[in-house]
Amino acid sequence: MARIVIDPITRIEGHLRIDVEVDGGSVKNAWASGQMWRGIENILLGRDPREAWIFTQRFCGVCTTVHAIASVRAVENALGLEIPLNAQYIRNLIVIAHAMHDHVVHFYHLSALDWVDVVSALKGDAAKASALAESLSPWPNNGRAQIQATKDRLAGFVQAGQLGIFANGYWGHPAMHLPPDVNLLAVHHYLQALEYQRKANQVVAILGSKTPNIQNLAVGGVANAINLDNQATLNMDKLYMVKSLLDEVVAFVHQVYLPDVCAIGAMYPEWLKHGAGVTNYLAVPDLPLDTKGTQFDLPGGTIMGGDFSTFKPITSFADPYFKDNVEESIAHSWYDGKWQKHPFDETTDPKYTKWEDDGKYSWVKAPRFQGKPMQVGPLSQVLVGYVGGHEPTKRWADLALKTVSSVAKVQVTPGMLHSTLGRHAARAIRTAMIAELAQKHWKLLVDNIAKGDTAIFNPPKFPPGEVRGFGFHEAPRGTLSHWAVIQGGKIKNYQAVVPTTWNASPRDAKDQKGPYEASLLGNPIADPKRPLEVLRTIHSFDPCLACAIHTLDPEGQEIARVKAL
Amino acid sequence: MSAARVGVIGLGNVLMGDDAFGPWVVQTLLAGYEFSDEVAVEDLGTPGLDLVPYITDLEALVLVDTVRSEAAPGTTRTYRREELLRHAPQTRLSPHDPGVKEALLTAEFAGRGPREVLLVGAVPGTTAMGTRLSPDLEAAVPRAVAEVLRELERLGCPATPRSAPCPPDIWWAR
Repeated sequence: MARIVIDPITRIEGHLRIDVEVDGGSVKNAWASGQMWRGIENILLGRDPREAWIFTQRFCGVCTTVHAIASVRAVENALGLEIPLNAQYIRNLIVIAHAMHDHVVHFYHLSALDWVDVVSALKGDAAKASALAESLSPWPNNGRAQIQATKDRLAGFVQAGQLGIFANGYWGHPAMHLPPDVNLLAVHHYLQALEYQRKANQVVAILGSKTPNIQNLAVGGVANAINLDNQATLNMDKLYMVKSLLDEVVAFVHQVYLPDVCAIGAMYPEWLKHGAGVTNYLAVPDLPLDTKGTQFDLPGGTIMGGDFSTFKPITSFADPYFKDNVEESIAHSWYDGKWQKHPFDETTDPKYTKWEDDGKYSWVKAPRFQGKPMQVGPLSQVLVGYVGGHEPTKRWADLALKTVSSVAKVQVTPGMLHSTLGRHAARAIRTAMIAELAQKHWKLLVDNIAKGDTAIFNPPKFPPGEVRGFGFHEAPRGTLSHWAVIQGGKIKNYQAVVPTTWNASPRDAKDQKGPYEASLLGNPIADPKRPLEVLRTIHSFDPCLACAIHTLDPEGQEIARVKAL
Repeated sequence: MSAARVGVIGLGNVLMGDDAFGPWVVQTLLAGYEFSDEVAVEDLGTPGLDLVPYITDLEALVLVDTVRSEAAPGTTRTYRREELLRHAPQTRLSPHDPGVKEALLTAEFAGRGPREVLLVGAVPGTTAMGTRLSPDLEAAVPRAVAEVLRELERLGCPATPRSAPCPPDIWWAR
């Protein structure tokens, strides 16, 4: 039994470490570990709950807005505070623009190179790549000359003897088998995706006043004064700027991102069989359509054991089905004790001991829902929506599955989405769906303002005693929840249960593995020194664990970060 | 994201002690100096590869960040583009590892991004949860500010001291 440790500890702090045991060319056991204690929640104790969101959005540098949104919702829930419709729509547009940006970056810039061989792209034929692209999509920027320009640019890099950003890919790995033309097309879209993620980010900047840390939220609503004739406020000019940027990003998502995921995925059908792991799914509803948070454009709920008949919806911001069933276990985490507690009652007392396979081995706590590990993320949301009969989810999922089936020449069903590839497909399906909803929510906002409603804020009032609230948000990486205990207008306890905590969870008191760990079992490993297959499965979850600390290592020595023991 | 051709960008997590060095220097610059329209001075937190959109249109970039080095906490060091890019980026397990190198290289592959880069770095003492800089790092702030001002002058867009400077808005330490 060989052991592989993937541990970039020499470069950054606060990162993820994965250990796998390999025998006979496949993974037999796995551990996922968070390697830095954060406990940032403690910074909030004693603070004004109206300011909590400003601090929580600094938890993570990539997932900024999502922690701001979850925080204001938690405090509003504690106060039973409704927020004006305009505020919901403006928040929704920020949520969607941020998510489109995030998903596009994840696919093209952070994970596509697990599947796309950049070196092989040099052997691609621009005319054939163009013909393939045009058979899949009406996108106007797939011409032969444009793709040839991409190929020339790449060739220039390689001839200069430097692959730059691509220097550390697993090029020529036996698990890479896209045809050169498809590799070339993917590199072409990698470059275009840079432009469209900027446009999505600009939407967040216009509505949020600033990025990456938005400034326009308030407990009780938003701070975007609305006056259609005033240059200093949210006016018609700015709204049309938002619309034209959204329209461009939506076109890219529908005509490039979704078709690319379908085409590339269809050429790796074996990855529909690997990486299922934990098939209990959790998603929360989002994009509220009313002031209370009882009607939503994105559905939420649970599915247990991969059995679609177990679907149970989560239906409001106050739904006790969510509130009462979340707990965190520290049985295998470096905290003092062995308890499993509800977030309102948790403490965060670090107690580091050494790594023990059967004992404590991670700073990540183990969230559980009704005592079970849950997978969160776009796959959960798509499955919950599909099973719950959510029309846009069904329509986009059916279109994607049809496209994959026709390219792969096998019938791909929703049940086959329990997999590494399924997580990528679901992320593209979700992006296509929320792209459409971006345009809908823009219109809802403009129509509501046209009716004469310019309300943006309901002032919060804190009672003298104790109140408790939770706020959830279906973030790009999945279900995020913040839990606040407020006493006399000050924060008494605060916990954030984040998507990567669900997915990167260690084992619990019953030794149930977390989703990353379970998903690696059975993964093939062609070359233990280059464990590309492990990266494929872990990247498919879109992990976010490493952003708490930002010490650069400009003198960085190259130190082995993959150890095959 | 603005029309500026020169970016001064502070990186770091303001909730993690000395990691706030970059944002702290940015707030100190904004409180004491006025900048021309061609200079954007921003605290971008820890954006990872999401740094790319902020540097794509820049001709020159001045980064302020903590750096790992054998030297004592509070030591300031500067690095040019070539030094930053000397070592290839490593395999990422999480897609959101810091990524300054990756961001510069990604912009370069697209034929964009700053030709001139200066990293003004300070060696951190403690990067554990906390909202204050350690004394060594606080003492390094004026040195880093001076490095940034010198670079802006070299780039032909000097900053002007404010006639009525205000205290830096270190909101996270209040």
